[in-house]
This record gives sequence, C-alpha cells and structure tokens, in this order.
Amino acid sequence: MKDLPQTVYVVDDDDAVRNSLKLLLKSAGIAAETAASAQEFLSSYDVVQPGCLVLDVRMPGMSGLEMQHELNLRGAMIPVIFITGHGDIPMAVEAMQHGAFDFLQKPFRDQELLDRVQRALARDAETRTRLRHTDRIRERLASLSPREREVLDLVTQGKANKMVAGDLGVSQRTVEIHRAHVMQKMEAGSLAELVRMMMSVAP
Amino acid sequence: MVGSDDNGNGGSRDGEIARVRTIIVAGQSSQRTQEVLNALSGFTNVIWPKSLESALEQTRSADAGCLVIADDLREEPIDEFLQEARELHRNLPIFVITDPDDVAEAVSAMRHGATAVIEIPPSYSTLRDEVSRALQ
Repeated sequence: MKDLPQTVYVVDDDDAVRNSLKLLLKSAGIAAETAASAQEFLSSYDVVQPGCLVLDVRMPGMSGLEMQHELNLRGAMIPVIFITGHGDIPMAVEAMQHGAFDFLQKPFRDQELLDRVQRALARDAETRTRLRHTDRIRERLASLSPREREVLDLVTQGKANKMVAGDLGVSQRTVEIHRAHVMQKMEAGSLAELVRMMMSVAP
Repeated sequence: MVGSDDNGNGGSRDGEIARVRTIIVAGQSSQRTQEVLNALSGFTNVIWPKSLESALEQTRSADAGCLVIADDLREEPIDEFLQEARELHRNLPIFVITDPDDVAEAVSAMRHGATAVIEIPPSYSTLRDEVSRALQ
C-alpha cells in the first residue's frame, strides 16, 4: 500500500500566524494545511492522515489543550507541537503529560519551528511503520488455528517439542507439524524471530 | 499496628508492616534544596543525596517511592540523567523542580522522562500533592 503524503496542519485563530507558518512550511517543501479553530480542524481531520500538528494553545471556543484531549479520545497518534505566546510551566507540563511532542513559545525563530516539525514528521513516520508491522503480525496470528496458537505460545516460552507434546497430550510428530505451519503462517525464519514478533505485539 | 501519617507513609495491611518508600531529594546545600526539604518535612524517610550520580545510585538500592531533583543541580546534565533514570526505572515518578517561567527547561525535562516539572516558589503544595500521589 502506498503511503499517504505527510501534511503539517496549522491550527491557530490568528490569520497572520496561520498564513506565515503555511508560507514558511511550503518554502521548506512541506505540505501544509490550516484551520482557524479546533472545531474546523476536527470536522475534517482523518486519523489515518500522516503528518503533524502545529497547534495554538489559546483559541476561542475549544482550546488547544482541549483539542489534544479530543484527539486522544479519537485515538489519533499525530504528533502535536503546541505554540503559545502566553505559556507557563503548568500548561507545558499538562500538554507534555498528555502526549504533546513539543511545546514552543512565541516568538520563535523559523528554523526552530522547522527543526521541530521535521522531528515530529520523522516520529510520525516511525510510529506508523511500527504499527503497520504489528498489524501484519496480528493478521498472521489471526490466521493460526487454535491448536497452532497453543503450540506457538508454548514454543515461544522456550519449551522443546517434546515438552509441548506432553503439555498438549499429543505426539511429538504432531507438534512438529503444527510448529512448521506456525513458522510458515507467521513468516518467521527462526524461533528467535518468532519470539521477537510475539514481544512486539505483547500488551 | 504501625502508624500511618497523613501522606500515606507507613501503615499496615492484613497484619503486614507496609514498607515505607523512600523519597529521594537530589540537591546541593542550597536554600532551594532546603525549601524543598522543608516542603516535604511531613513525610518520613526522605533522603538527600547531593549529586545526580548519588541519587541514581539510591534509586537502585533504596525502595524508591519517587525522586525529586532540586534545580540547583542543573549544571549537571539533567536531560541525560533523566533518560538514564527512566531507562532504569520505567515507573519511578521523577519530579524536577525549576524556577518559575522556565518553560523551555520544563519541556525538555518532560521530553526526557520527568513525570512533572514543578516551579518553586510558589508550588509547595503541588510538590506535596505529587509526592503523596507517587507514594500511593
């Protein structure tokens, strides 16, 4: 599946800030879209869209922090860079505790924002790659039969075929056949790889 | 029955003596550190290592309930320390005390693993509340 292009969303009630940031981002070759309010952004944002968010803290109506909360409820993983002209420590701490990627005080240098945006975009790409990987593993897990799943759980606990056979009350040969199917369905080249896969999807 | 103070230190449960978890305050002999220690005077089992290195050592050996880093240690590489402490103790609450309005410092500390950044003065009560929560 081809990746969607990354977009930086700028949400700020100040026209001048929105326009200057959009221009700055475009001058750096970064696609940007703007919204004048949290409501405007939320009404059109799709969580599958990769990118990052540059979000003003204080806006009329829903504030930036409230919008972050709403995004968390929706399961959005988009990195959020807060910008504010009136930041204080409790506000910054609250934003970071709720998962903000960064918190920047106005006025800031253009390069300062661009650096953070680039880091946020890199983080978003990493997160999405990791999630795609774990999704694939979950799909493969779902393709296993109940018996194959039992064998998988036991072999990844370090049990030898003979012990697995004893635990499940089947012959060692049967375990070997199930194990071969597990390796094939999971597309694992070795037991170590299988263990790593299971660890990556462990809760 | 072992007594319990208002902050959840001590106490007993099902006949067992509850462990008193240590509050580690890392700070040099400064007025700020003294203010932090005074703010936490209602708690038992507060220890006071005077360097980040020593504080990290204490988190390894003591039954650490939380770590409070006073701002007068900031000449030491606090961000690296926070990362190291976080790698060692995924769930240890770590509070960084800072001057009011140093937002950039607070954000950096949060990014590197601080649980919260507390400005002192004036937030002594915030510090006490955070530490109480951490010990529960």
